Amino acid sequence: MTPEKSPDVRMVAAAAITVAVVTGACAGADFESVIDADVRIAAGGATFSPAGVRDPVGCARRLTRLLGEARAKEIMLGGRTVSAADALRLGLVTRVVPAPEIGEAVSALEAGLRALPPLALRAVRDAVHATRDLTPREALALEHEHFRRLIATRDHKAAVAAFFGGREPTFTGQ
Amino acid sequence: MGSNAHTRWWADGPVGVIVLDNPPMNVLSDDNRRGIRAALDEFREGGARAVVLTGAGERAFCGGADLKEEEELTTETVGRFLQRGDETFRALREYERPVVAAVNGWAMGGGLVLALWCDVRVGSTRAKLGAVGVKVGLMASNVQLSRLLFEGPARDLLLTGRTVEAEEAHRLGLLSAVVPPDALMDEALGWAREIAAGPPETVAALKRAINTALDPVVADASR
Repeated sequence: MTPEKSPDVRMVAAAAITVAVVTGACAGADFESVIDADVRIAAGGATFSPAGVRDPVGCARRLTRLLGEARAKEIMLGGRTVSAADALRLGLVTRVVPAPEIGEAVSALEAGLRALPPLALRAVRDAVHATRDLTPREALALEHEHFRRLIATRDHKAAVAAFFGGREPTFTGQ
Repeated sequence: MGSNAHTRWWADGPVGVIVLDNPPMNVLSDDNRRGIRAALDEFREGGARAVVLTGAGERAFCGGADLKEEEELTTETVGRFLQRGDETFRALREYERPVVAAVNGWAMGGGLVLALWCDVRVGSTRAKLGAVGVKVGLMASNVQLSRLLFEGPARDLLLTGRTVEAEEAHRLGLLSAVVPPDALMDEALGWAREIAAGPPETVAALKRAINTALDPVVADASR
């Protein structure tokens, strides 16, 4: 059984980042998209359930990476519906706001992400994704590789100049 | 016991204490990098059983790299800059005894990396953590946050660069305790003394085991 896409679950693309916004019941295919997003936030009334996912094993693997083994097992094996408060405790979402404020919270998050230097944002996203499969030494080497490239970008120089000039930087993605 | 322009250190019974003192933000200087390594060498010689690392004042634990220093880096010098940072971070990570960070204020950028490579972190209610690399078009603390927090929360902090206040840091597990500013040093020394009271070789073996517990299994044992 795959529940239909619900209006309670939205994916917001901000710069290179996907933000999952959950305002009501989230299960099945929605649950799978939500755990694939980069950042997750929820309204107070949101609930989460892995019931009806197409790929339970894939979900279990992904959740273990997202939350650690104990928390992943609590969600995947516990079989209970997870409240917004529990989702916050488990780290399944990183922010819960009262339902009337969710629109404002999403706009602020989106604006914040769009204001960041795009090359660094993408590099961080990719590096976090890669880190788990690397030894610490390899992961640090990868971080250093990104750092060397990023420090030569116009956006980094613009950020430093803006800091010393006491103004907001403008980034061009160069 | 010793000091340099920006760092002070001394032994308090079985616990070594290191204070970063580079006001106003305790920006990480070469004196700090050298001071931390010198202090750890001295504590090792003196048989310290645990170490507390903190920042002077109430404003910052460590403000991270000096943006002025960073601004002047060239393709030729950036490698050496990264290596100097790494030597210091690795010295904490690989030090045989546990290191407790007393996070008394801002820990941002490279200052957050410093706190995250410690073994236990306790904070004052003024502690503020920021993975701010992305905000200046760089990256820092990816590796540490992804290991300490798992990807879900790590992504949020690293991708937004937002400020994490003491209470949220406690909930995430980045701080093990939060106390009022004037109780912070006692709290940190309490954790350190408790660790120092344990059987030293067991404690050292535990630290080593936890350091490598998440590593992928590879044939190369030299990593």
